[in-house]
Amino acid sequence: MAKFRLYLEENNRSPLAQLWREFSRQHSALVGLTLFASFLLFSVIAPFITPHDPYFQADNLLLLPPSWAPDGLVQYPFGTDDLGRDLLSRMLKGTTYTFGLALVTVLASLMAGLALGALAGMSRGVKSSFFNHLLDLVLTIPSLLLAIIIVAILGPGLANTAWAIILALLPQFVHGIRNAIADQLKRDYVTAYRLDGANNWQVLTRVVIPNIWEKITVMSSMALSTAILDIAALGFLGLGAQAPTAEWGAMISDSMDLIYVAPASVAVPGLLIFAAVLSVNLLGDGLKVAIQKRRES
Amino acid sequence: MIVFLLRRLFLLGTVLLGLSIFAFALGYLFPGDPLQNFSGLRYIDSTQRDLLISEYRLDQSYLAQYLAFLERIIAGNWGLSFASQQPLLQEIWQVLPATLELTAYALLLSFVLGVPFGILAAIKPQGVFGKTISGLALIGYSLPIFWWALLLIMFFCIGLGWFPSGGRIGVLYEIPNVTGFIMLDIMYADVSYQQAAFHDALTHLILPTLVLATYPTTVMIRFVRDAMLEVWDQNYIKTAKAKGLNRLQVLYRHGLRNALLPVIRQIGLQFSALITLAMLTEVIFSWPGIGRWLIDSIYQRNFPAIQSGLMIISTLVITVNMLTEILHTLFNPLARKS
Repeated sequence: MAKFRLYLEENNRSPLAQLWREFSRQHSALVGLTLFASFLLFSVIAPFITPHDPYFQADNLLLLPPSWAPDGLVQYPFGTDDLGRDLLSRMLKGTTYTFGLALVTVLASLMAGLALGALAGMSRGVKSSFFNHLLDLVLTIPSLLLAIIIVAILGPGLANTAWAIILALLPQFVHGIRNAIADQLKRDYVTAYRLDGANNWQVLTRVVIPNIWEKITVMSSMALSTAILDIAALGFLGLGAQAPTAEWGAMISDSMDLIYVAPASVAVPGLLIFAAVLSVNLLGDGLKVAIQKRRES
Repeated sequence: MIVFLLRRLFLLGTVLLGLSIFAFALGYLFPGDPLQNFSGLRYIDSTQRDLLISEYRLDQSYLAQYLAFLERIIAGNWGLSFASQQPLLQEIWQVLPATLELTAYALLLSFVLGVPFGILAAIKPQGVFGKTISGLALIGYSLPIFWWALLLIMFFCIGLGWFPSGGRIGVLYEIPNVTGFIMLDIMYADVSYQQAAFHDALTHLILPTLVLATYPTTVMIRFVRDAMLEVWDQNYIKTAKAKGLNRLQVLYRHGLRNALLPVIRQIGLQFSALITLAMLTEVIFSWPGIGRWLIDSIYQRNFPAIQSGLMIISTLVITVNMLTEILHTLFNPLARKS
C-alpha cells in the first residue's frame, strides 16, 4: 500500500523506534500495554500497598458486601469473604501469584527453550530429526494435561504448578525457535557472514538472534496468556495453589459455594484473570501487526 | 503420495512408541510401589506379589518389563482402577463417548459460526462490522473458560432457570446404554418418553457445548479472517478482479478455496485444545466424561487411571492430528509438492 508522499522524506530511524511508531498507532495495543504495565506494577508492589493483611481473618466482618452496596464499608471496597478476609487485598496479592508467577514461568521456559531451540536449530542430521520427533510427541499432548500429569507426579502446590507450566510450555518454545532459526539459516546474509569466516556461535548471536527476537516476543506473549490461564485453571481445580493462598483461580473455587450470597467474590477474580489475559493478547496482537507493518515499510 | 503416507505412518509409529515408553516410565515416576501402579491392585499379598512380579517381569531388566507392559496394553489388560477396582479399559469406554460427543458438537459449532464470521470480518476489516467481530473474537479468546461457564450458569440456570446446571440427562429418564452417545442412544431407545428425553438431553447439552465452543470459535474466526486477508492480497485475486469477475465470484472461485484449505488442518490443532478445555467444562457441568474422570483420579491419587487416561487421550489427539494432516495434503496440491 504505497501512500502518496509530497515530500521525499527519508525514514532512517532505528528498528526499535520504527516498531514503537507502528505500535503506538494502534489504540487497542496501547490500551493493552497500559493494562499490562499496571498489572506488572501491581504484581511487584502488591505486598506494600494492600490496605489490609490478605490472610487476616476479621471475625466481626464476615461476608461484608462490596462498598457500593448499602451496608458495605468504604474501608473494604470489594467486601470480605466468608472468613472475613479483605477481598481487595487478596486480589492485589493474587496479582503476584497469578500474573507475576506466569511471567516468571514464561521467562524461565523461554530461556530453556532458547538454549534447546538453538541446539536443535543449529544441528543437522540424526540429532535434529530425533529432536523433531520428540517435540512432535510432546506437542500433541495438551499443555494442561501435561501440567496435570506433572502435578500428579510432584503433588499439588504452587511451586509444583510453576514447574509443571515451565515444562508444559517448553515444547512450543523449542519448536517455534527451532523453526525460526532454520528459516534464518537459509538467508543469504547468513551465508555471506559464514563466508566471512564466522563460526556457528557468531552466526547465532550476531545474525540469527537479532533477527528472530521479534518472533520470540510474539511467541512469549502467546505463552504468557496460556500460562496465566493454566495457573488459574490448576488453582481452580485445586491442583495448583492451595486453599489460603490468594491465587485468583483458587479464589474462584473457594467462593464457588458462596455464589448466591456473594457473587462479587466469584465475579471479580474472574474479571481480573480475563483482564490480565486480554491485556497480554492485545499487546501480542499489536506487536504482531506492528512487526508486519515495519517489515512492509 | 505413497511415500508421504508411509513417512506419516512411520512417524505415527515412532510417536506412539515414545508415548508408551513415557506411560511405562510413569509407573516408576508416580509415588508408591511400581507393582501397585502397574496392576492397580490396592492390597497385594505375598503369593500374589510373587506371581505378579514374574508376570510383569519386574525382576528382569527394564526392557523386558517394558515389553511385558506393551504386551498387556495390546492384549487390553490395562490394570485396575485404584478407586473402584474395576478394569480401567472398561471404565474408559464408559466415559470416553460422553467427551467425544461434547467435543464433536463444540467443534461443529465452531465451524458453523467461525468460518462465516471470519469471512465476514475479512470483507471489510476496518469497517464497524469487521472490527466488532474481531473485538468479540479477542474477548472470547481471552475468557477463562471456568469463569465463563460460571457466569453462564449464574445467568441461565440460576437467574433465568432455562437450563439445568449439570449432568447429561435428567434422572427421570432411563436410557439404555448402546453407543455411549446420549443423542444416538435416545434415538435407538424404544421408550414411550423418547421425545421428552430428547428435549431434556438437549437442554443439558446446550450450555456445555456453548462454553466449550467459545474458544475454538474465536480461534477459527481469527484464523479464517487472517487467511482471507492474506489470500486477498495475492496476485491471482488481482488477476481475477482484472478479468472482470465481481466480488462474489472472486470470493467463491478464488478466495474461499485457497483460504479455507488450511482450515482442515486447524481441526487437528484445535482438537488438542478442545480436549483440555473439555476437561474443565466437564468438571463444572458434572458431565460424566473422561476429563472429569481423570481429574477425579488425580484427587483420589489413582495413578493407574491417570496413566491410562494419558495414553487414551494422547493417542486420540495424535491420531486426529495425523488424519487431518493427511487429509490436508490430499486436498492441497501445494502441500503435496513440498
